[in-house]
Amino acid sequence: MTSTITTSTAGTDPLRSSRALLDIRRLSVSFQTRNGIFPAVSDIDMTLNEGEVLGVVGESGSGKSVTMLAMMGLLPFNATIEAERFAFADHDMLTLPDRARRRLTGNDIAMIFQEPATSLNPSFTIGYQIDETLKVHEGGRRRQRRERAVELLDRVGIPAPRKRLGDYPHQLSGGMNQRVMIAIAIACNPRLLIADEPTTALDVTIQAQILELLLQLQQERGMAMILITHDMGVVAEAAERISVMYAGQLVETGRAGEVFHRPRHPYTGALLDALPERHPGQARLPTIPGVVPGIGDRPTGCLFNPRCRFAREDCRQQRPELLTMGEADDPRATTGHADQHQARCFHPLETDVSADRDTGARS
Amino acid sequence: MSVEQLMQAEQLVQTYTVRQGPFHTAHLRAVQGVSFTLEAGQTLAVVGESGCGKSTLARMLTLIEQPASGRLTLCGRDATHPDRTQLRALRREVQMVFQNPYGSLNPRKTISTILEEPLVINTDLSRAERRRQARDMMERVGLRPDAADRYPHMFSGGQRQRIAVARALMLQPRVMVLDEPVSALDVSVQAQVLNLLNDLQDEFGLAYLFISHDLSVVRHVADRIMVMYLGRPVEIGSRDAVFEAPRHPYTRALLSATPSVDPDARHQRVALSGELPSPLDPPPGCAFHRRCPWATEQCRQQEPPLRDVEGVDVACHHAERIMSTAATPA
Repeated sequence: MTSTITTSTAGTDPLRSSRALLDIRRLSVSFQTRNGIFPAVSDIDMTLNEGEVLGVVGESGSGKSVTMLAMMGLLPFNATIEAERFAFADHDMLTLPDRARRRLTGNDIAMIFQEPATSLNPSFTIGYQIDETLKVHEGGRRRQRRERAVELLDRVGIPAPRKRLGDYPHQLSGGMNQRVMIAIAIACNPRLLIADEPTTALDVTIQAQILELLLQLQQERGMAMILITHDMGVVAEAAERISVMYAGQLVETGRAGEVFHRPRHPYTGALLDALPERHPGQARLPTIPGVVPGIGDRPTGCLFNPRCRFAREDCRQQRPELLTMGEADDPRATTGHADQHQARCFHPLETDVSADRDTGARS
Repeated sequence: MSVEQLMQAEQLVQTYTVRQGPFHTAHLRAVQGVSFTLEAGQTLAVVGESGCGKSTLARMLTLIEQPASGRLTLCGRDATHPDRTQLRALRREVQMVFQNPYGSLNPRKTISTILEEPLVINTDLSRAERRRQARDMMERVGLRPDAADRYPHMFSGGQRQRIAVARALMLQPRVMVLDEPVSALDVSVQAQVLNLLNDLQDEFGLAYLFISHDLSVVRHVADRIMVMYLGRPVEIGSRDAVFEAPRHPYTRALLSATPSVDPDARHQRVALSGELPSPLDPPPGCAFHRRCPWATEQCRQQEPPLRDVEGVDVACHHAERIMSTAATPA
């Protein structure tokens, strides 16, 4: 890992150093492949305060999962992580020795994945798998740990938890397995929970239950949560802030209400526009032409320009930076507060979509 | 042009025998009492969670399985228990598109082989003619015909789903059974495939049976909706009637559980506790009563029949009350 840490950033900005639990500046991850170096994500900025819920939205291949795996230190050996700043709870994750880092990520950062059935080990009982986590991170006597496991299963809403401890994952439904995963994730009272598509594999009514449970736990424990998903509805229901990713870049970030009502990046706008929910009674939906660029075919200039309706000459030549969008009199725009609405676009959208949407979708 | 009834199902039932240990077998009623008619150019959406019998229904309608009882009519011909020759002819009329375009295309065959296979089996067209038809169909579904000699892995998820749709259309069927055709796709690609399906329906007058769990997609594509729970239809009606005033508590719960993209509309949910009961051991009375906030003693004892409540068929004792008590959960 290479790093250039500028201590001055943390020192001069009191807001950042006192409240931000997670502070990432210009994080890039690249993979060494047979065909050369492939940049999976580049220049990701992400800040998260204690107890905040951030939604990360993007289509497949946008680099959402890679970013989170980098945070957890779970990337394969051929990956290189670079960042200007990569701090969790004032620990510098770039220089932290592996041992200390593992202790930190196990205790304070927890992660749950899309497929509960495959993230649990099919050969061990769920009681054993919860105990494993408790043994490593909390210690204590066997009986105490067992009580704690029962307590955890009860908290995540598994009926008859004591009886369930001896069950294997295949004896439980998908929703129940996801509850077990959540129990394991919250076992050590993490300060940050990363949920990677936690409800995608579940049925609608179960999805609602799990989302509700995650939000309840988040509030009652003051946990920060990063919710990664491709489902705009899930983000809109749960997140306070939203980051939209496209082809390994963060293209827009801001408060949930602002991003959904007034998207500034054309990609966000088009993505919202492609939802059937926004076009009741219309036979055809607006689409985004083309596909997300893959390994070999990233365009020059703005990565979205070949699919963008508004692309001009400068979009094809230069790569835009993430720019603050807020109105001039918005105090947040100048203080560098994490709340600001930013978009990576030379020609951000101006229209307020909330007007036509209010008449449309609520009919 | 008068409306042409392409598919008619009357009280379809499918039962499976499940072995439970060496001496005990149980009967699983996967589908019970499904009736509907499907007209040319019309879309019937089937909505429900896993285990509700959607896939079993799809297998019966595509003539992969024969129903245990009931009657199925396809294009005016009886399709309940056809003999081999009839089956061959009938199968051309109904084709299927599956959920996962990564699993439903043979990775070792080129696109042209995949598209020509139905023609090889069912027609005696010459090789050149088959090839021409395959290329025409590729163009029709928005793929470049010069990609005909490529393999499925060279295409993205959305393009593969286009290939799957093209394959289903090669024999010019009248009915298409679409089993979650867009749920494996990203939002921007989902819209492309939905548009394609819409265009094809207009062009060929296809009837769609659209299976999905995503109610925002269903609301977009469907003319009529059938909601299923544990193998039974619990509500069947026109899209607008069902969405605007759901009469069955399960439909209402499904609607309220579907997340909306409007962050201001973080509505209070009709919270559904519990999970789907096992179809091997269905609860007595109404199958939904253990999860239903409106359940009464009557629901625990008596199974509600499907009955007409203001234009919508619904299987609930309290449909009138539920329909009138509160506004539609958004």
